[in-house]
Order: sequence, then structure tokens, then C-alpha cells
Amino acid sequence: MSEPVIRVTDLWKMYEVDGSGVPALRGTYLEVRKGERVALLGKSGSGKSTLFNLIAGLDRPTKGRIEIEGQDLEALGDKGRTTLRRTKIGFIFQFFNLLPTLTVFENVYLSLELANKPDPELALKALKEVGLEGKERRFPNELSGGEQQRVAIARAIVKHPSIILADEPTGNLDTSTGNQILQLLTRTSRESGTTLMMATHSPLTCRYATRILRMVDGVITEETSGEERPY
Amino acid sequence: MKIVTKSFLRYLPRRLSLSLLQLVGVACGVAAVVGMTLSAQTALKSFTNTIEFLRGKTTHSIQRPVGAMEEEFLSQLGQDPAVEWFSPVIDRRLRLENGESVHLLGIDPFLDRPIRTEISRVEFLAKEKSATESLFSFLTDEKAILIDSHLKKSLPSGSPPILKTEKGPLYIKGSFPNPSGEPLILMDIGHAQKLYQLYGYVDRVDLILSDESDFRSRWGKGFLIQSSRQKRETFSGMLQAFRLNLEALSLLALFIGVFLIYNTAMFAVVSRRRDTGILRSIGANRLEIACAFLSEIFILGLLGGALGGLLGYFLTRFLTDLLGSSISNLYFFLRPQPVSWSNWILAMGMGLGCGASLLGGALPLGELIRTDPIKALSGRIASPETVRKAKRAAMAGLLILLISATLFIIPGSHVYVGFIGVFVFILGVSLLTGVVLLLLHPLLKKILGRIGGLPGKIASGNIQQNLGRTGVAIAAFMVSLSMSIGLSIMIGSFRESLIWWMETQIRGDLYIGKMEEAEVPEDFFEEIKKIEGLGGVHPYRNVQTLYRNTSINLSAVDASVLEKYARFGWLKGGNENWEEVKKGGVIVSESFSRRFGVNSGDTITLEGKDGPVKFRVGAIFYDYTTEHGLVMMDRSTYIKAFGDRRLNNIGIFIDPHHPRRIEVLQEVRSRAEARGLPVLTGSELHQNILDVFDHTFAITRSMRAMAIIVAFLGIAGALLTLFIERSREFGIYRALGFSTRQVARMTLIESLEMGLLSFLLSMAVGTVLAMLLIKVINLRSFNWTIFFFLTWPPYILTGITAILASIGAAIYPMVRVFWTYPQIQIREE
Repeated sequence: MSEPVIRVTDLWKMYEVDGSGVPALRGTYLEVRKGERVALLGKSGSGKSTLFNLIAGLDRPTKGRIEIEGQDLEALGDKGRTTLRRTKIGFIFQFFNLLPTLTVFENVYLSLELANKPDPELALKALKEVGLEGKERRFPNELSGGEQQRVAIARAIVKHPSIILADEPTGNLDTSTGNQILQLLTRTSRESGTTLMMATHSPLTCRYATRILRMVDGVITEETSGEERPY
Repeated sequence: MKIVTKSFLRYLPRRLSLSLLQLVGVACGVAAVVGMTLSAQTALKSFTNTIEFLRGKTTHSIQRPVGAMEEEFLSQLGQDPAVEWFSPVIDRRLRLENGESVHLLGIDPFLDRPIRTEISRVEFLAKEKSATESLFSFLTDEKAILIDSHLKKSLPSGSPPILKTEKGPLYIKGSFPNPSGEPLILMDIGHAQKLYQLYGYVDRVDLILSDESDFRSRWGKGFLIQSSRQKRETFSGMLQAFRLNLEALSLLALFIGVFLIYNTAMFAVVSRRRDTGILRSIGANRLEIACAFLSEIFILGLLGGALGGLLGYFLTRFLTDLLGSSISNLYFFLRPQPVSWSNWILAMGMGLGCGASLLGGALPLGELIRTDPIKALSGRIASPETVRKAKRAAMAGLLILLISATLFIIPGSHVYVGFIGVFVFILGVSLLTGVVLLLLHPLLKKILGRIGGLPGKIASGNIQQNLGRTGVAIAAFMVSLSMSIGLSIMIGSFRESLIWWMETQIRGDLYIGKMEEAEVPEDFFEEIKKIEGLGGVHPYRNVQTLYRNTSINLSAVDASVLEKYARFGWLKGGNENWEEVKKGGVIVSESFSRRFGVNSGDTITLEGKDGPVKFRVGAIFYDYTTEHGLVMMDRSTYIKAFGDRRLNNIGIFIDPHHPRRIEVLQEVRSRAEARGLPVLTGSELHQNILDVFDHTFAITRSMRAMAIIVAFLGIAGALLTLFIERSREFGIYRALGFSTRQVARMTLIESLEMGLLSFLLSMAVGTVLAMLLIKVINLRSFNWTIFFFLTWPPYILTGITAILASIGAAIYPMVRVFWTYPQIQIREE
């Protein structure tokens, strides 16, 4: 069996609130292999986003270890973690988080520039893949929610990352649009062999996953495969 | 260009009104510095050019320590082995009919030619005559003059060659080139002696010496010998304090400009936080974000600086005239030429703008690159963090104030240290602003809630919630309002001190003649003394001389008259101090005492007509005649030491209850006017002095106005930013049912609160600043005591300024509210 792409060992994250520590993650363990499509299911405040932020290297754990493709995130340092986000990790947010002053094309091209692959053709191709051909010159405020999320997906996939982290990717979309987005994500993941992790509070998202993890109060408590959908 | 940088720079055109506001703010700050620096430089350059032009090939000059020099020494000078060449000179000012002042040199054309070769290149007007004939006409016609080419150009074309002056018409025989730009007239020295009634005297003799030390060994006693370099340094030294204060003023304007840039940069930080979070999450590193941010700040600094350079150039046109007349009124004649445009001015402005950007943007940059991307993306309003930051800033502010206090109390320290202390003080109080706002917030919320209802309460809350932005804008406005109050109180205190001084020292009923020129004949003085009914006739002589190679003023008075009629302000003792003066001692001004460390009982030595003369210092008195220091002695002592019997003016005193008071004064006036002597009443003289004072401080007032404008732009920028960034919040208000008027009122109240807070803080800070300016800066710069007079007008005027500026700053955001509010909806991205 191949090495896991993501390995999380005894991960803790504490936050200071009014002088006392509040745990967001409490001894989390996780292994994700290449090509898996994992849905992390949990209510708001269960620690999903915290886990994603730690995996992406945006935050640092209080205790525990995170390995991405065998590399210890802590050992990489801030520079190494930044490089990781540039090249190996694509992040998709609930509220899209596009840069408002850049066009659709520029928002996607930015990712390539940061990854040191400044090829405009790749950006155009990614936009075509997500169905936004012809809208390259538009600004985010000129797009619908679904279109904006497509741009965010294009930005994430254009650099061919090893991992895509999607934090509530459909949280701000209607059901129909949300399904389209999820189909796009899973198709892209399947075609490129990219590992996909989706944080969600919606059981409907689980339909698109090969593996479902449940997170409760900072702990991953349950695991089911995609075939054993509870719904 | 990198996309990361592009994402930041695109905000500039997107928020055009805000960008323009910030640009203009930077431009104003830079304009103040550029304007003041160029004006001061041009004044100095004019001064240097004039000195150099008039110096010609002169190596030294010789004159009496005070007063004019006897002609009889000329033949001895001509025969001295160390003298290669000499030229006697009469060096005076002449007022034209139109009120302008020009420089008049009386020279011997034959003796002067080898020294001032440029002047000898005369172009005579009468083309039909030969050069010899024209020169002969110049030598024989006692009203004949030559004028410089610039002055010639300024005369209306086709007009007869006559220059109308206070001493009657003078006839122009020709013109000569003058690279210095200062209006200059030449006259034959004999005719100049007659014009100024200097029969048998010259002002000085310009020399070309082969051996200075040899010459000094023969002429050192009873004469003042200065090399050209020494003379230049003497003049330059006279301007030092004045220049320093001007530089400080312009630096203060730049300080506020830097504050505005800091303001701008902080707004940008808050606005870019979310973008920074996004960029960090997709792999941008801190360096790329820093470069993007710096690009934005630099562009504002560069464009603002360029605009500032241009504005500064236009400002010099106004300031140069002001500066020239102030220097002429206070020190020596100077008429600076206007600055001509050069691309270096633009470069200077851009350099200043960029430098100020770097300085103002440094801290905000640090904050931006330390932004926690997770918090930035979550959009959490970090209120506790803001409060923590405000407290930390306050701690730093207190420490800085401690440093400032230390700088002020270091004994005997230079005025530069005082200026640094003032700047450090302003920085320290600025850092306290945040905490003070937090403390005042509950009270203001109550007041604004009462006045403005619900919009008032919300407005108050908004200011506190956005402390990162509003705090800086309020601090900047507070600094400029404080400067307004501080300078107003200082100027007002100075003015009141001056009035007090005039009412104690200048108490005559009439003054005949001028303070600065010797033109009252001694026989007239004797004639007036004989008029029945006069209480006292006071002869006054005022000259410049050197003490320890530094220019000072020397006054000769009648101690008995002043003892009876004046009420001198003594540092110690009272009118018994006149006894020493009557016995041949001197009294010295406070500035003299401080400058040279001379106290009562000490002895000073001045160069008299027969060599060094010692004088005992009897007392020290408050005086504002000159910051260089004044030594005062009785006329008999003066004549004995210096042999100079000339008079600048005479003061007339008469008992106020004298039954024929008006007739007696009228008789004095008539006799003076018959002699062509100017006559002023005591109150007229006081007013003239005050006019000079007010004129001198016109520069200070213009810098003060500039600082207010810069800070106003800061407030306006803060309001506009708050408006732009709160469209979602306005959407919530609209959804809740707030009307457009209510939201507009909220915007106005926010602005008024910011202005009011700034003003309240400035009342305290401005008062302290006034005390520092009076007790530290003025004292160390000019060595005189200004008495602290606290009056209400500066506070009232500044309060009105604050209110008007606040309303002005709110106008555009309110207009935007009326335009856009009815269409605003809450919309997620």
C-alpha cells in the first residue's frame, strides 16, 4: 500500500478564550491516500476548518504531527509551508475568496505565477474546464455565486496540486448549483488523481465522496466508505 | 508586473476619490517643506550672491566699531604698506516713493573700479555724449545715480530717467549689470555724503590687503577689521535662529504629512487584510505581499510628492517675498529673487514623498505582513486586539513622553535638542490617542445619543469599533489643531510680551527720526531741548557692533530721562539700576546675558575708537529689540568711548497734565517736519513695531494653515474609507429600516465626533505645546523670555476650525450616502 498523502497524528489545537484554553482539535488521527475523495462531516464548530487550516500549513498545532507526502509540516518552516501551498495544495473556500480587483483570468493565473508556471494557456484551459470560457475579463462582483466558486476551483486545480482542500465548497450556494460544483470537483479529482478533502455539514456532499469521516468536538469519531452511505 | 502587486494597485483607481484625497494630503505636506526649503535657500543664495557681488575683489574691510569712519584716515590707509588697494564706501538703504527699499552705495568711481569691476561696466543713457562726458556728468551732478539693470527694467518704459525717493528725485545717468538681483544704486561718494549728511565721514573702507596680520598690528586698535569670510559668517550667523525656526516649521508640516501617509497606509492595511489572507492561503509569501503594499504606498508618495513639488514651487513665490521682507525688517536688507523652475524641484518633491511614504508606511507594513491569514479570512472584527494594540501604543507613548521630558530638562542643551523634544512629544501624545478615545467613549456615546438619537449612538460605536482607522485620523487632526493652538498662544504671548515691553520702555509722546538710521542732526536735538514745557528729550542711538566676533546691538540713551519716564522690566532690582549706567557702566538685555553668559557685576569689553574699553554690567533687562543681544549705555559714555555723536531718533516726553501739552507737542512736530524729519506718536511707533511683528509671523501662520489642511484631508480620508468599507453594514441598516437621512446624519455625527475629539485633545496638547515653544524653543533660539498669556481666542478659533473641517470632511461621504444608499442591498460576495 502506498504512503498516505496526508497523515495526521495525535493532533491538538487549543485556543485562548478569556484566559483559558479551549480545544478545537483533541487528539485527531487521520490518513488519506492518493486519489481518495474524503468528506469530513460535522456541525459548525466541530473543528473541520481548524483541521484544514492546519493541514494547509496556515496554522500551527498545539501538539501533534502533520505529514504531507511524507514531509513533516513543522520541519518545513514557514517558507516550506508557503511553498507547499503554492505547489501541492489547492484551497477552496465557502465564500470563494477571490481577489476583487483581479479579473477571472488573473485570479486563476495568480496561482500559476505563484507556482512559478506562468503559462496563460494553462489558466485559459482551467477556465474552460470549469465552464467559464468567455468570462475571463469579468471581475468577481460581476459573477454569480456559482460562477465565482468555479473560478475558485479553477484557481485551485490549475497548478495540478496533489491535494485539494475544499472547506464548505457549496455552503454559500443553492442545491442545484452546489451539486454542479461537487460534480466538477469530483470529476477533476478523478481525472487527475488528485486527493480531495471536503469539509461539510451537509450529508448531500457525502454522495460525492469515496470515504466519509465524521468530526465531533475536535475528534474524528466515525468512518464509513462511500458505498456505505447512511442516506 | 506581478499579479500580487496588481491586485493591490488596482485599488487606487477603484477608490479614486479616496486615492485623490490621500494624494492631495501627501502633496500638501511635501509642498510645505519644498516651499519653505526653497524659499530659505533662495534667500540664502540671494544673500550670498549679493555679498559676493558687492565684495568684488575685496579681501578685508575696515570701519569704526560703531558709527561712521572719519575721512582723515583715508590718506593713511592709502600709504599703508599692507594695503594694495582701497575704496571708501557709503553703504545705505534708500526708500523709493513707492515704498520699496533699495541698496545705495556711494563710491569713488576711480578708486572702486579695480575692486568692483562688474559695476564699472556702466552703460550710460545719454548716447549722444561720450563715456568721459557722461562720467563727468555723473561726478558733478549731485543728484546723479547709476542703477542696476534689473531696477532699470522695472521702470516704466518711456518714463524720464528720474528715480523718486524719500530724499527727493535722483537722476539716472546709466545702468550696470548686477548678477545678485538685489536692487542697487550707485552714487558718487561725495554726493552720497551730502545726501546722508555724512560730511567728513564714510561708512567703511574696502581693502585689498597683502598682509593681514601686519595691517592689524597698525590698525587693530580702535577699528573693526573683518575679512570677507568673517563678514559673510557674521551675516549668516544673524540669520541662524530665524532659519532654524523656519526649518522646524516646515518639518512640522512634513511630520503631519508623514502622519497622513501613516494614516493612509493604516487604512490600506485594514482594507487589504482580507486580500492578504487570501494571498497567503494560496501561497503568496510575506515578501510578495510587502512588495505589493509598498508599491501602492510608493505610488501615492511619488505622485503626491510630484504634485507637492509643483505646489511647493508656487508656494515659494509667496513665501520668498514674505521671507525677504521679514529678514529686511529684522536683520539686514535682503531682496531674494524668485525661484526659477527646475526639474530638481520635482525630483525633490518626489524624493520627499517617497521618503515620507517609507517612514509613514513602515509600521503599517509590519502589521500587514504579520496578519494572521485565518483571522483575516474569517472576517472577525478583532476588537479586543484593537484595544490591546491601543494600550500597547499608549505604553510606548508614555515612554516616549518620558524621553521627551528628559530632552527638555537637559541643562544648556542646544535648540536642536529642544526641537527634537517637541517632535518626540507630539509623537508620544499621538500614541496615547487610542486609549484616550476608549476612555472617553462611554461619555461621548451618552452625549451623542442625546443629541443625535439612535444614529448618534451608532456613530459613536462605529468610531470605537474602527479604532485602527479613526484613531490615527483623530491623532493627525489633533496634532495639527494642537499646532494651531500652540502657535497661536505662542504668537499671542509674544505679542502681549512685546506690548508690555513697549509700554514699559517706549513711553514717549513723540518720536522723531527712525530707529534704524542716523538722521537726526545733533543741533536739532539741542534746539528741541530748549523748548519750554517739555519733560524730557531723549536722544537715542542704535548701532551694530561685534562682541566676541558676534554681531550685537549697542544703544546710547539718556539714563536720567529713561529713569524718570520709562519703566524698564528688570530681571532683578528696579530703577536703582540706572545708577550704574550714569556712572559709566552698562545694562544688557536678557538675550545678551544668556547668549554670552554675562551677569550683573561682570565686565564686558568692547572695541572703542581708541582701543578696547571695559564696561561694568549693572543689570539685565527684558528686551525684544534684537535676539542677538543689546548693550545699553549712557550717551556720554558712548560718545567718550566711540566718538559717535550721531542720533537715530529723539523721544519727546511731556507731563500728561501739562496745560499746554498739545501746543508744545505741535511745536515740536512742526519744527521736525520743517527739517524733513519723520515724526511718529508713541502709539504710532508701537503700531509700526506690531506691524513688523505681525508680518514676520505671516510665514508661521501660513505653515499653520497648511498643517490644518493636511490633517483635514486625513479626517476626510478616514470618513470616506469608513463609508466605502461599510456598504454591507449600510445594507443591514437599510434592511432594518433606517432612512437615508438617518444614515447621512450618522455619517455627519461620526465626522463631528472625530473633529470634537481631536479638538478636546488638542486643547490640552496645544497648551502644553505653547509652553514648550515659549519656555524651551523660543528661549533657546532667541534667548529671551516670553511671558505666557493664556487667552480664549485661539481655542475658540481652533474649535470653529475643527467643526467646520469636520462638516467639510463629511460632505462628500454624505453625498455618496444620498446617491447610493437607496440602492444598497446586503449581498454576499
